[in-house]
Amino acid sequence: MENLKEILDGRHEYAKDWKKRTGGKVVGYYDVYFPEELLYAAGALPIRILARHEADDNTDRQMYGNCYPTRDMLNQFMNGRYDYVDGLIDIESCQWWHNACSTTLVNFPGLFSHYFFVPDYPDGRKSKDVMRSEMGVFKTRLEEWLGKTITDEALDHAIEVYNTNRNLLRQVYELRRFDRSVILGSEAMEIVLACQVMDKAEANKILEKLIPELESREPHGDCVRLMLVGSETYDAELEKLVESLGANIVIDELDNGSSYIWNNVIPQKDRLMAIGLRYLGRPHSALKDNVWRRRPERIYELFEDYQADGVIIAKQIYCHPHGTDMYAVWKLLRERNIPYHTFERDSTMPYEETKLGVEALINMIKPGMTRLYGWSKA
Amino acid sequence: MTQEFWKWPESKWVSEKIDWKKAKKITAGVDIGTTSAQAAILCDGQLFGYANIATGADFREAADAVIQGAMGASGMTLKDIGSVAATGFGSRNAGYAAKTLDEIQCHGKGARFMFGPSVTTVVDLGGQTCKAIRLFEWDRIRDFKTNDKCAAGMGRDIEVICDILQVPIQEIGEKSLQVENDPEPVSTTCYAFANTETVGLLREGYREAAYTENDVYAAHLFAVAWRILSTVGKLAPLDVGDIKVYKELAFTGGLAKNKGVTKRLERELDAAALTSEYDPQLAGAIGAALLA
Repeated sequence: MENLKEILDGRHEYAKDWKKRTGGKVVGYYDVYFPEELLYAAGALPIRILARHEADDNTDRQMYGNCYPTRDMLNQFMNGRYDYVDGLIDIESCQWWHNACSTTLVNFPGLFSHYFFVPDYPDGRKSKDVMRSEMGVFKTRLEEWLGKTITDEALDHAIEVYNTNRNLLRQVYELRRFDRSVILGSEAMEIVLACQVMDKAEANKILEKLIPELESREPHGDCVRLMLVGSETYDAELEKLVESLGANIVIDELDNGSSYIWNNVIPQKDRLMAIGLRYLGRPHSALKDNVWRRRPERIYELFEDYQADGVIIAKQIYCHPHGTDMYAVWKLLRERNIPYHTFERDSTMPYEETKLGVEALINMIKPGMTRLYGWSKA
Repeated sequence: MTQEFWKWPESKWVSEKIDWKKAKKITAGVDIGTTSAQAAILCDGQLFGYANIATGADFREAADAVIQGAMGASGMTLKDIGSVAATGFGSRNAGYAAKTLDEIQCHGKGARFMFGPSVTTVVDLGGQTCKAIRLFEWDRIRDFKTNDKCAAGMGRDIEVICDILQVPIQEIGEKSLQVENDPEPVSTTCYAFANTETVGLLREGYREAAYTENDVYAAHLFAVAWRILSTVGKLAPLDVGDIKVYKELAFTGGLAKNKGVTKRLERELDAAALTSEYDPQLAGAIGAALLA
């Protein structure tokens, strides 16, 4: 556990060391629809750009009004934190990320860059063909940039490594279930985030050793079990706050949490199509949950599966996709009498106000945990 | 000395009818808020004493002063109190409290004590936060919503605008109700914007034909009420189809004493708020004392 935490905290040192060890290129990305397997097959290291809670005096003049993670991405680049990165991938995502990426590239024109289009309607009839085509274009760009051919064997290896990583992380998530709850929400979040900033093959080795250790732990005693929903998260501070109040986040529905690991690549002869379908078939992000609105039901399924008692919805301030999506989630939670608390995150959070809401939610649930589903009949 | 228009009267009271030495159970609650601090002492479930003071810059000093104020000259000391619970943003400064509690449950509990068991919706109008609380028929919280990080439209905003407009804080509410029809509210986005806009109205000779200062007060307090409504409106509706009903409504907190805000809220919510013999600012402290 400590290994992964160290890598997460010292992610820049890890990536620099990886470059030195392997001679490979490091490429930053931010959106969960980015097909990392392709980059990995090319011998490069995809790393997720994670925001930090830091004061920002750089970006207001360039990206006023963006959400804090996007501003922070540019801020970190400008402060030299990502000076080892060789490329930055711009994905079809929300306008803020798009803006952040293009502004970063304006400031750092030497970076390799590629705009990867992911259909806004992942379930659309032509989406898989569009995605396959985009995969092909990206493969060609990578081959030109790196001066090497991405072989089928390399793609198979990348698929294998990534599927294994997702399977192992699913095993970690299994240890959060009610009957064998041996892992804290903060630990699970740090594990899954660490895997996004490191070589997955190395992560797999650590996880293979770690999981038996976690399994041998004694289960936690009874406590209020909460689910975390909302915009992406970049650290485990909120989980730690919840734990300090005697509760535990037992499941999340976050783009870079459970949704990042929930489905695998199903191998087929056309490797690029196989990888593309995995990304189109992943649990929809708020941005791409168009027309069918499947996220609220998925949230409910996870809530039931992990026997949570209530939901925390943490939205990044100025996050449009989640701002729109939240109403559908609220509606479902209300209809099913599920207690929830919504708040907005920013680069810094007022501790007392955040604590007040979370504590009140926990206290609201506590006395009637076992009678939760009887509320509506009252 | 210049008049401090923002300053609201501090108060303290100790019962002459209750002999605390005969009480079987004495509990106390302190609510150390961002702008005001309250303490309430209960003897066998009856209010024995309270104090309501401005928090000031030193939260620890306020925590000590407020509990001393509630004990008054009764001869009671902290050692005589069985259990003390603290709530509010500065609750951790009450070093003598055995536990700290969240304000939501304290205000819910306190409101039931003060306004009766029928209360189902409590709106705490505090110095920097607004908390809308929905209670079950029994003693449980069903839902709650708080305002965002911004303190726009809360008690501190009224204090600032009273100082700027040079109108005593106890009078602004009543004066604002003297207008025939409410004017358009000023900005509801941010209290800095609202204050600038309010001052701008005065400077420009607001509504050239029928300009009165009361119109300006009304425009400002209407904006405050709108801001609070947005928080109350997010509460889970009561089970009457799609129609939101705010029956059995109680206002707590310092801003609950401002009729210019509460009357407008009642009008917009289509509900008459319950009344109580107690100071609405005491709800948090009384709730904490009940839960201590």
